[in-house]
Amino acid sequence: MALLVVPACLLVLALLIGPMILMFRISLNQFSPTQLMVQALSPDNYIKAATDPYYQQIILATLGIALLCTLLTLILAFPAAYWLGRMESRWKSLVVIATLFPLLVGNVVRSAGWMALFARDGLVNTSLLKLGVISAPLEIMYTTKAVIIGIIAVVLPYMILTLSAVIESIPRDLEYAAANLGASGARVFWRVILPLSGPGVAAGSILVFVLCMNTYATAVLLGGPRFKMMAPAVYDQFVRGNNWPMGAALAFMLLAVTMAFTVFGSVAFARKYRTG
Amino acid sequence: MAQLTLEKLTKRFGTSIGVESLDLSVNEGELVALLGPSGCGKTTTLRMVAGFLPPTSGRVLFDREDVTQLPAYKRATGMVFQSYALFPHMSAADNVGFGLEMRGLNAAQRKTKIDEALKLVRLSHLADRLPRQLSGGQQQRVALARALVINPRIFLLDEPLSNLDAKLRAEVRLEIRALQQRLGLTTLMVTHDREEALTMADRLVVMDGGRVRQIGTPQQLYDSPVDAFVADFVGRCNILSGRRANEREFRTTGGLLLPTDVASSERDDADAFALRPERITVVAGETGEVRGRVQAITYMGAQTEYVVALGDETLVAVRPTPDAGEPLAALKPHDAVSLQWDRKVPRLVPQTSK
Repeated sequence: MALLVVPACLLVLALLIGPMILMFRISLNQFSPTQLMVQALSPDNYIKAATDPYYQQIILATLGIALLCTLLTLILAFPAAYWLGRMESRWKSLVVIATLFPLLVGNVVRSAGWMALFARDGLVNTSLLKLGVISAPLEIMYTTKAVIIGIIAVVLPYMILTLSAVIESIPRDLEYAAANLGASGARVFWRVILPLSGPGVAAGSILVFVLCMNTYATAVLLGGPRFKMMAPAVYDQFVRGNNWPMGAALAFMLLAVTMAFTVFGSVAFARKYRTG
Repeated sequence: MAQLTLEKLTKRFGTSIGVESLDLSVNEGELVALLGPSGCGKTTTLRMVAGFLPPTSGRVLFDREDVTQLPAYKRATGMVFQSYALFPHMSAADNVGFGLEMRGLNAAQRKTKIDEALKLVRLSHLADRLPRQLSGGQQQRVALARALVINPRIFLLDEPLSNLDAKLRAEVRLEIRALQQRLGLTTLMVTHDREEALTMADRLVVMDGGRVRQIGTPQQLYDSPVDAFVADFVGRCNILSGRRANEREFRTTGGLLLPTDVASSERDDADAFALRPERITVVAGETGEVRGRVQAITYMGAQTEYVVALGDETLVAVRPTPDAGEPLAALKPHDAVSLQWDRKVPRLVPQTSK
């Protein structure tokens, strides 16, 4: 049976681990505007990425947006996930498909849709102006707001499905028992549903956080040229700047920060729920 | 403790009937068991009393207070679930304390009551364990303590013993009954286990298809069932269909004449003869009024079961296992036997009552 895992492992080794080793080697090289990449073994790129305020700001902004989006997604997803997890109708599989449906549209196409909505003369502004709700068009496009909305729309289905699977596994009788003992709906949620959803909250949050950290198309299309997140910055280094060593170093920084938070989150969570 | 009254309580799921016009009152300190096959509406009834399910029509009253519209968390019923429904992330003590916390008691007040409740179910030494660290029987007792500690107005038991093994079940049955009587708990219990119902309940409600078939004490239901369904459901029963032949005999559809006393059966529409196996005496040899041949003998320890063929019909008799040397002990399949019973004992009942 163990042999069955071999092809998949080889594939991962060849297509993921291999390039990563190459990338790591590249990240230790140096960049010269005339010769592009110069062979070297120096940590300079990492030092620059960690100390240059320009890159520091990008890393912090990416981290901030990812954390905020994860939190907002969690809050938005919970009611939907609860509803889906408790659904007993035969239409349930259809609802699951409907939840996944937005993912069938690529991020670029989706962001183009958001652009049509958020632009100065887009649907949102035109409607609100015509209705007299606002007197001047709102600036949504090319702001952090637009990026956050765009990202949440992408990651919401992942969170909903992860949470609903866990909520589904919480016996309904526990809610009845809590109500029977005098707990109102809100208290049933805080004392029973939420604590028991812990594993789903953790899994969904990690998944969504990683996706947010690596946002590319949404950040570029809705954030505009001046808005910087890590993934576009990596791309810029490789393609616009032709600076492969710096791009590779930034990519590893992104990976390191993402992993650090993921591991930290998992450990903190495991500690909190060790007895549960 | 309060009196529980159900008035024309009805629950329909779409077009199908969950419970149809159920009238029942459980007196203060009384234990009433709802008994019936799965899907008979007993659990639906219990859930309506607890407030988990809104009735389609009818009323639920605690004493004279109409609680039909009251949400579950304001009803102050104490329920023991079939699954126990203990909160897996809380210790036994915290499970017991949950209801007290919801009632706004502070930690010190809770502690006293939790200790008291755990002592009542003899679990004080396991207060800090999580449910998964407890055996099934211990979990069940935590569930009991949790339901009782809030001084419920009505005590509700949903198949409380079905997840315990047979030996423990008999023990816990007596324990719950003793507790219920000592504390004077007005109790509504749901079960599909007739033995559980007969041994624990003051009164039984036999339900089928959302309707009540019969309400009465265990003895009434066992000895005087209103129809063949009840007769069969509350205990093993020989049921033969046919018609009464005259004042002293019942003729089965197979043409067999069975002694009975029509005066002891009230109903004219009776088309079934019901007789419990332990009421039949088996005598070796062809001496009596009802004669047949032994088809099978099953030794069950203290008792022995005899399946006797009477023409096309069969009757099952259960007797105390005879000592070696008694004529019955030598009985073998195909031997001729006579069956006897007090002719006042068989009930002539309809197959189904409307």
